[in-house]
Amino acid sequence: MSQVLILLRKSLLSFGRNRAAVAITFLVPILLIFLFGHVFGFFGPGSAPPGVSIAVVNLSSEPAAQKLIAALQAEKAFAVITTYDLGKGATRPLTEADVRAGLHDNWYRYALILPADLLPDNGFGVRLKFLFNPRNEIESQMVNGLLQKTIFSSVPELLGQSLQKNARRFLGDDRFEHFNRTIADTVAANFGGDREEIYQRSIAGDLGFSQLRRPNAKTEPPAPVAPAGAGPPAQSPAPRPDHQPESVPAAAGSTDVLSQIVKIDTEQVAGKDVKNSNAARLVGGYAIMFLLFAVSGSATTLFEEKNSGVFQRLLSCPVRPGHILWARFLFGIILGLAQIAVLFCAGRLFFGLDIFHHLGGLFAVSLTAAAACSAFGMLIAAIAPNAAAASGIATFVVLSMSAVGGAWVPVSFMPGYIQHLSKVTIVYWSVEGFADVLWEGRTVIEVLPKVGILAGIAAGVMLVAVWRFNRGRLFD
Amino acid sequence: MLALRNVTKRFGPLTALDDVSLEIAPGEFFGLLGPNGAGKSTLMSLVAGLRAPEAGTLVLDGRPLKAGDAGARRILGLVPQTIALFPELTAEENLRIFGQLQGLRGAELKGRLDELFAAAQLEDRRRSLVKTFSGGMQRRLNLIAALLHRPKLLLCDEPTVGVDPQSRNAIFEYLQQLNRSGVTIVYSTHYMEEAERLCSRIGIIDHGKILAFGTLETLLTRLPFEDEITFPATSATAPLAAQLAAQGEITVVDSTHRFRPRTGYPLSAFFTLTESLGLPPRLFVSQRPTLEALFLHLTGRKLRDA
Repeated sequence: MSQVLILLRKSLLSFGRNRAAVAITFLVPILLIFLFGHVFGFFGPGSAPPGVSIAVVNLSSEPAAQKLIAALQAEKAFAVITTYDLGKGATRPLTEADVRAGLHDNWYRYALILPADLLPDNGFGVRLKFLFNPRNEIESQMVNGLLQKTIFSSVPELLGQSLQKNARRFLGDDRFEHFNRTIADTVAANFGGDREEIYQRSIAGDLGFSQLRRPNAKTEPPAPVAPAGAGPPAQSPAPRPDHQPESVPAAAGSTDVLSQIVKIDTEQVAGKDVKNSNAARLVGGYAIMFLLFAVSGSATTLFEEKNSGVFQRLLSCPVRPGHILWARFLFGIILGLAQIAVLFCAGRLFFGLDIFHHLGGLFAVSLTAAAACSAFGMLIAAIAPNAAAASGIATFVVLSMSAVGGAWVPVSFMPGYIQHLSKVTIVYWSVEGFADVLWEGRTVIEVLPKVGILAGIAAGVMLVAVWRFNRGRLFD
Repeated sequence: MLALRNVTKRFGPLTALDDVSLEIAPGEFFGLLGPNGAGKSTLMSLVAGLRAPEAGTLVLDGRPLKAGDAGARRILGLVPQTIALFPELTAEENLRIFGQLQGLRGAELKGRLDELFAAAQLEDRRRSLVKTFSGGMQRRLNLIAALLHRPKLLLCDEPTVGVDPQSRNAIFEYLQQLNRSGVTIVYSTHYMEEAERLCSRIGIIDHGKILAFGTLETLLTRLPFEDEITFPATSATAPLAAQLAAQGEITVVDSTHRFRPRTGYPLSAFFTLTESLGLPPRLFVSQRPTLEALFLHLTGRKLRDA
């Protein structure tokens, strides 16, 4: 037993003196928990996502259209955009052409068009047009559900107004008034209530559609709307935590009725031919995360080569430290390209990703992403005092960058300041670059801005790494 | 071939080399003897151009030597103290890489590989992974990896650490053969036997200073005695030890008295004394002093304890 205790003491002493091990065991998890708390918005109301941008084009003169826009603006999950910025503070209302361009350029991924015939003259109900770019499928499902909830929950009067409008057109003013008086009298006689009030509510379109909503409808999104357009069917919203199974039949019945009345023409404006929209993000995000791990591991072998005396031998040959560093950097790029290629081939095999029609753009993004990751690995080796510390730093930074950069969950679900932070990560630009190519089908020229950003990150990080190497003791 | 003039190298507060001056002639087999931490590896790294001194100059083959001097690297080879090879590669792949870095290509490289593998008796293992080699084989490969470009000056930084006697002898014989062929060798070690066996001149280094240098014979003349007599430390020899204290230096190590007579003390007087005390001659062994004794004399410490 004493031997066990002696050996146990030895283990504790060794562990306590290994600062890298202590940091990985205690400090890194605390920092990651803190960071992930921010990513997932656990730090109170201020850390909630700022809202998914949704563009709204209002072509209707109906007062109800403004009520609908106001309802959307009241929904915290949305950031409603209704105007086009002309510069110098001048704006104009958005047009359909504007939002189509914005959707293609990924300025926003959702647009609602309130057409001139929002309440059609020749039919009962409400007509809307929904344009979307489901680059992020999870986000699309969420937005779809929220949008329907907002329409159905907040503007039921639209339906009554539509009904009354058609009734007046069909019956004529006199018979329409007579009809409403008769209805009011009948309701008052059989169910009680003030006859005049029932009449006024009736002609204002308040026919009690709001009563169709289930009691907790404020928090329960309705079932999906059957699309009237040529686009694919709208997705079901994700289940919510406050879901109450016992009220499902009533809700289903009501939303069936509503979905017959509210006609939403949906149109997917990008990625129509992509078989699996999430796969591009999944493969791209994880490819970059594991590439970062791989190049960090590779860079830490610099320490092993130093300790083994290989550097001494190399540097006693006609070899300069710069040769060693650049060779390692190029190795990281080749490793990265190979890893990305293998993972996208796996994505092709598993998810049917169309990689062969986008080879040019894919290569451009992969090359610069690999260069940025390789430079990152070099930086880790440059700032860490030894291999163990490098491994700890790499683990922390790679996990943080992957979380913040959107490798695991879409950036749009994160608080605003995290979304800003994500834009300084390699993961964000790589994932966006891959999505541009595989989802939007962009060409090499079109992805050049993102490729340029990745190349800039690679150059900047490598510059800092070389500067640190020159001041460090790796080659002592 | 190589000259160091007033060379000083510091690492923060530590002075690794302190005003060191040395001259090594072409074709010489120069030994650098000192304990661990004496400054041997630092001196080697300066000569190899891996570091620059804070003060002083180095001259290699008639040219001032600066850190990173590519020309100098073509004429010197370094055998690092550690096994500086890529263990996941084969022996041949390792040598090819180092040969190519030295500018060798094609038939020249192949010929050189054949020659060196034969010399190191590793021909049959040239396609084996280095990590599968024994310690001795790795040491031999570590040595020949520094010889691919036929250096004029070979720097061996404790090249036999952890090697079995057989491999050590093989390395010694190969180094002596190289030296005979005209290669100048600087050999650092903390084994005095190696320095005595191999080196035509020896520099003794401790705490960054060269304490003495010269041929073995010259160095040993710095001792105040010419012979060393050892005998068992027993009660019977205790009176002798007491009387000898006035005639030289006497110490006890591992139950053995070690007597180093002062210069001029005749051996005949010693044996007259032992005879008078009734001690038989078979108890006494007379031997030539060693570098160990010189190191002890110069530093007050034993080489192995330093």
